[in-house]
Amino acid sequence: MTVIKGYCHINKEDCWVNGKPVLAKTDDPEYSWLRQIYNFVGLSYPKFHKMDQLAQAGVLALALLKHEGDLPMDYSEEGVDLVLANRHASAGSDLRFQASYADHAAPSPALFVYTLPNIVLGEIAIQQKWYGDHIFVVLPAFDPDFFIQYAQRHIQQGCQAVIGGWLEVTDTETDVFLFLAEAEESTGKGGSLPLAAINELYRQPMPSISKL
Amino acid sequence: MDQIKQELKKQIIEQLNLEDVAVEDIADDTLLFASDGLALDSIDALELIVLLEKFYGIQVVNPEEGKTAFKSVDTMAAYIQQKTAQ
Amino acid sequence: MIYIGAETMISPLGSTTEENWSALKENRSGISWVAGAGLHHQGLFLARFHPIEKDRRFTSLLYEGMQQVALKLDPSIMLSARTQVVVSATKGAVDTDIRDPFGGVFNKFKTHFGLAHQPIVVSNACISGVQAINFGDELVGAGQFDQVIVIGVDLITDFVVNGFQSLYAVSDKPCRPFDAARKGITLGEGCAAVVVGNDRSIFAEAPLELLAGSSSNDANHISGPSRTGEGLVRAVRRTLMRQGCQPEDIDLVSAHGTATLYNDEMEAIAFNRLGLQECPTLSLKGYFGHTLGCAGVLETAATMQMMRHGLMVRSEGFENLGTSKPLPILTENCKGPINTFIKTASGFGGGNAALIVRKL
Repeated sequence: MTVIKGYCHINKEDCWVNGKPVLAKTDDPEYSWLRQIYNFVGLSYPKFHKMDQLAQAGVLALALLKHEGDLPMDYSEEGVDLVLANRHASAGSDLRFQASYADHAAPSPALFVYTLPNIVLGEIAIQQKWYGDHIFVVLPAFDPDFFIQYAQRHIQQGCQAVIGGWLEVTDTETDVFLFLAEAEESTGKGGSLPLAAINELYRQPMPSISKL
Repeated sequence: MDQIKQELKKQIIEQLNLEDVAVEDIADDTLLFASDGLALDSIDALELIVLLEKFYGIQVVNPEEGKTAFKSVDTMAAYIQQKTAQ
Repeated sequence: MIYIGAETMISPLGSTTEENWSALKENRSGISWVAGAGLHHQGLFLARFHPIEKDRRFTSLLYEGMQQVALKLDPSIMLSARTQVVVSATKGAVDTDIRDPFGGVFNKFKTHFGLAHQPIVVSNACISGVQAINFGDELVGAGQFDQVIVIGVDLITDFVVNGFQSLYAVSDKPCRPFDAARKGITLGEGCAAVVVGNDRSIFAEAPLELLAGSSSNDANHISGPSRTGEGLVRAVRRTLMRQGCQPEDIDLVSAHGTATLYNDEMEAIAFNRLGLQECPTLSLKGYFGHTLGCAGVLETAATMQMMRHGLMVRSEGFENLGTSKPLPILTENCKGPINTFIKTASGFGGGNAALIVRKL
């Protein structure tokens, strides 16, 4: 049996970890919302500032899960398989790259390299030094069965953990959900929620924290 | 020349999204690509080429030229002066 | 056993698998000079569809590929609830619908073909195609589906031309994978499909055996290949191990071979680390250009054709070895049985993937 050890959400104004509110966006003009989360999780990673929003959101969700969810994630180099998905691929970065060469201006190479949705997998792999199997897929909508089946297959194949998530980050939408699954027998830290509950976890009610 | 260098530092920080770096952190001879310097990478190098075109109208045809020109702010400023004087 | 067959190719070399194979065995390249195609409107070498076929865009090409692959299968397969479609693509319809590049896959596709399920898009840069076939194997192997139609599509657009030119990654001559004079990639476009399934009888022509593999990240840099070939070594090693194969079992390496300085050098290092340095090796980019998300499917399909015809084609564009480690790159067509080949891919994001196909 495969179980969920922890999960987190980032939406437009709040962060939640394991169903509990942990951070609300402030009106701080100096820091963007993603930068506020960066400060909150205490990351010090200069590369972060070069990433596009999709990659930033992936790296931040992982940091939230690790620190707020108290999951050490001390797996072997090839022990973690990653599966991320969304609906609009890298559309946000695509628009920014397209704008960079409008009016005959020089296209930006730094923007171009982010016009692929799987770059977030690379950024996580680089940051964590993970060499496992990894895949990015585009789906019409969040599909619990897709994630359940992937996690079951890969845990059965013998990987230590599967980190999966829905990463929809566009100019109008921030819908980030990340979970960590392991075999039930594993003795690692964290909770033990049934994998089948993933749809409820993804759709848990998240009233605005500032109004709580 | 000093004016160009100050401008250049600002432009580098902005163009490369070096959020945690301030103009004062970059000395004229700080090595841009050394790990104990600004630790820029290959994509940053290409982005510096875009910077030259955007702010100085300089078109770098051969990116190999950048290797020597982008050593430090000193060498970049010299390169800009040489190119704009042509 | 998991089978792979029904390989379908649409490229500038031809509109059918047969036309593509004829071109490959005659060493014809799909690359040509296209005036005004580049950034600043200079000319470029591209493997692009003829202008007369310019209405071949993302969705229409996807449909064309699906129609062709359907003819190679038992007709009931397309409609079966036991069939899944996996699309391999990087940019979708970025040229016509940048805000929703995969809308064409999700909106009408399912009803048009009467599919039981919505397709899944695998979008992992240049390794997408190999990843998508491996993913198809996973779905069939786990019993979730009986067959998966894997279809790769990517097109040459201003978007990708500008992007690769901004990286100074595009060659001013037709690309020359692994050659000493290589100067970068030549972009290509196309559509290709293969079918992965557990029932031999669905294939009109006898299938081959798929020994699916794995992927691994370099964990090093998002756009520069690893200097040590780390991710490629791990992906191939895991693939060989999972399938109980030894490097000596491989008759042909269908490499990624983009013809950039660093990629080809990285592959040469990796294949040497893996003990594959004596295995005949080729890149198909000299024929098709780099078709990005389509490449892994197109090049697997083309190499399957070589296996069926018992002919390894020369690695187009190659004359003199230009890597620090030796590789036996094919300089001439070579007749003889190919029992087992490995297909590899490496790409942006640091991803690497591999799969093996064996003759039955």
